[in-house]
Amino acid sequence: MNFCGFVGHDDAKLALILNAIDPQCGGVLFAGEKGSGKSTCARLFRELLPGETPFVEVPLNMTEDALLGTVDIERALKHGEKAFQPGILSRADGGVIHIDDINLLPAGMIALIFEAHDRGTNILEREGITAHHPCRFIPIATMDPDEGLLSAHFLDRFGMFVAWGAIRTNAGKMEIIRKSESVLYATSDTDAALSRLRERIANARRLLKRVHVPATIEQSIVERGIERGIEGHRGELFLFCAARAYAAFRAEITVTEEHVDQVLPLVLAHRARPAPEEQEEPTEVQPSEKNQSDNESQTERETEPHNHQNQLHEGGAQETSSEASAAPADASTRKEEIFDTGEPFPVRRIALRKDRLKRAESGRRTKTASQGKSGRYVRSGFKSAERDVALDATLRAAAPYQAMRERNGSVVIRPEDLRFKEREKKMSHLVIFVVDGSGSMGAQRRMTETKGAVQSLLLDCYRKRDKVAFIVFRRNRAEIVLPPTSSFEYAAKRLKEIPVGGRTPLSAGLLEVYRLVMRMRMRRPQTRCLVVLVTDGRANQALGETDIEMELRSMAGLLSGCKNADCLVIDTEDKKSLTKMDLAARLAEWLDAHYYPLADLRADYLTGMVEYAKSLQWVSAP
Amino acid sequence: MIFPFSAIVGQDEMKTGLLLNVVDPAIGGLLIMGEKGTAKSTAVRALADLLPEIEVVEGCPFGCTPDGLLCSACRERLNKNEGLKREMRKMKVVELPLGITEDRLVGTLDIEHALKKGEKRFEPGILAAANNNFLYVDEVNLLEDHIVDLLLDSAAMGVNTVEREGVSFTHPARFILVGTMNPEEGELRPQLLDRFGLCVRVTSVRDKNKRIEILRRRMRFDAEPDSFLREWQAEQERMAAQVTAARERRDRIEMSEPVLEQIVAMTTQLNLDGHRADIVILKAARALAALAGKGEIGTEEVRTAAMLSLIHRQKRLPFEEMGSQMTKVQQLFSGASRP
Repeated sequence: MNFCGFVGHDDAKLALILNAIDPQCGGVLFAGEKGSGKSTCARLFRELLPGETPFVEVPLNMTEDALLGTVDIERALKHGEKAFQPGILSRADGGVIHIDDINLLPAGMIALIFEAHDRGTNILEREGITAHHPCRFIPIATMDPDEGLLSAHFLDRFGMFVAWGAIRTNAGKMEIIRKSESVLYATSDTDAALSRLRERIANARRLLKRVHVPATIEQSIVERGIERGIEGHRGELFLFCAARAYAAFRAEITVTEEHVDQVLPLVLAHRARPAPEEQEEPTEVQPSEKNQSDNESQTERETEPHNHQNQLHEGGAQETSSEASAAPADASTRKEEIFDTGEPFPVRRIALRKDRLKRAESGRRTKTASQGKSGRYVRSGFKSAERDVALDATLRAAAPYQAMRERNGSVVIRPEDLRFKEREKKMSHLVIFVVDGSGSMGAQRRMTETKGAVQSLLLDCYRKRDKVAFIVFRRNRAEIVLPPTSSFEYAAKRLKEIPVGGRTPLSAGLLEVYRLVMRMRMRRPQTRCLVVLVTDGRANQALGETDIEMELRSMAGLLSGCKNADCLVIDTEDKKSLTKMDLAARLAEWLDAHYYPLADLRADYLTGMVEYAKSLQWVSAP
Repeated sequence: MIFPFSAIVGQDEMKTGLLLNVVDPAIGGLLIMGEKGTAKSTAVRALADLLPEIEVVEGCPFGCTPDGLLCSACRERLNKNEGLKREMRKMKVVELPLGITEDRLVGTLDIEHALKKGEKRFEPGILAAANNNFLYVDEVNLLEDHIVDLLLDSAAMGVNTVEREGVSFTHPARFILVGTMNPEEGELRPQLLDRFGLCVRVTSVRDKNKRIEILRRRMRFDAEPDSFLREWQAEQERMAAQVTAARERRDRIEMSEPVLEQIVAMTTQLNLDGHRADIVILKAARALAALAGKGEIGTEEVRTAAMLSLIHRQKRLPFEEMGSQMTKVQQLFSGASRP
């Protein structure tokens, strides 16, 4: 199969064609579900480029050395010379870098790639080597939003973006199967089509310099950027290039409005800001004085349709919103309210202590000695289980003794010279918020304050690159309203939507979080979970027939037995109330968790508190 | 090819912040925070073209100032009564890439020399190259902690002391730290934040006509860089001359009592810790007056200097946006300037 034989996805193909015409178009990112042909299409890009153009794949296991370049081991050992061994960035100069599943690449690595791309030069200062070389390439990447998201900052670096819809019609699917099955299908007509296309691209490339962009078009490009509230100026620059390339592709020498319109969705869709809050917030309910009664006017909120932009920014939005919208169906008689998120306030930072386990995940909260060769080479030392030799340090250790050792051509290295790389990597965390959504949380705007607290913790998580998940329990069940994600915006929105009403199935909440923690342990054994249970502790809905308290105790026992999780209980009960029960405090004991009344989360109160036992530390905010 | 500094549209605060540091390196650098795609990196890289020549020890890889602090090698030459020759050298913008390793930052044993000659010799790192120059870190908030530690260490002392792999070496490392960052990507460590003398926030230019001009200039530059640079050459030279003149004028500018009082009164009202803010405001105000060709510091200079120096020094709540209390500073001024 060739580029022309690839079924559908005309927008993706157009994006690639435009990049082939003008590399200044800034590359393209394809986002869509797995197995839908994104990578296949990206790889077919090669066919549009002149024969000798480099096309370099970036594997997920890539090390920094491999990306940036490193010291040439052979020459160092044989001749005692320092020489630069080029890396991926160097090989890709003048060509394409293809990054499959870019969202799974550590953020630090993506930053390195775009740092060099932005500068147009790779500056190498590593392991005794200094090198500068030109580094101009077209970034082509794919991602599956279900697997994690890409920050807006990195999204902006891509000239174009294509939301990859899977082909659903039977006829379309049949065609795809037929083509993928048979190499023979690359029959003469697609062959001929491809060579026609290549010729057209070559012509367009020649024409490009002569394509004129009238002042009115420049103006209209800027107006479109302003209309959409685009941050920064890259969008407009890319739109200009894309429109110009498109005109050249159409063999026209003047760019028109129509050309701009054609390429607009490719360039601006991923840069547009999510719709303003007012539009998304049709119902705002003020909590009434006594909201325990069931017969008050009922407010049910429809999950708003997710618009195109949200989908781009936040990927997996659709799936979860449909889950959430299923919830209100069974509860027509119950009162339900949605409280605003209270003002976020400064909370103490949560830091998990460095543990001894070697890990392979990346994040910002806790540093950990990393396993394998993927962390950042921090310094060299004498010990290593990985036999990961730090060549530069080893050579330096051996160098002064070469004369004594009667060196003959190649360098004499003795075992005592060996130095090994110490690598460090930040470990990732999943912070699971388990929020009580029962009716009692609605009293005296407690939910508003609670949401404010969670929002504050959420901001902290975002800055530390933690993933977050939400579990809400109310009425007779608990549900994951937000599966683990690193999208802060999306989490904040979900938080806002958490409704209040009904009974308190606390044990169901604990069971759900236990399941999630166990799943994480299976899928990502290196991730630490921090369970933040936010409740007033007034459990009144059991899972089974047994006593509620017994049930809670056994659930808590299960959870505290999970070695990959730490727990934290935030008690939202009104401590001034005469009817206070302090159940949450007891629950914290059973969970072996740290316990904080909601009021204590505020930083002013926490000032001065320093040390905590076990694995949790609350460090003072700056 | 570097886009000319003078052709950057708008973003006056950022440009001023950079130029002030050229006029007076003791101001202590600039942090540029802002949205993606707002010419942050472009401006810093473009600054190189406007930098003046400074006096250094001839041939010294550490760029020692002849009458200032000297590196181990220059000191040895002095001790042997070999004189230090002087030469003029243009200041540079040295980039610190995110992927840098420790040995290349601080310098280490020169392997090749050791292997070939059997002698230990110090091989200078980036800190050496940055001495008396600008040190630029793009995405400074993404820099690894262990690199930040080393950077802070030598920034505080103005000296880089190396004791590793059998080499001992000391050399001056006075650099003007310039960092750019997008705050959405994570915050900066408070110690590092405080290191930056000045701080500006940049946002996209909102004015339509200016945006069109940005688009035009960028595209013209990309298409025909040579003729674009020629067009801007006169303007570039004018700016460079202005900066050089301001450097010479700087130390002659009077710092009157009322100005000092005004500055101290302001930082006291804002309840700021330490004296760094006072000093930075004073130096920045003086550099502003020098750039404007004035003989003394006026209220306008103090105001601008305060806006540039205080944005990252104010006490704030962790989730408050930086600079959210700048209105307080503005209010202070409307009070202060009243007769």
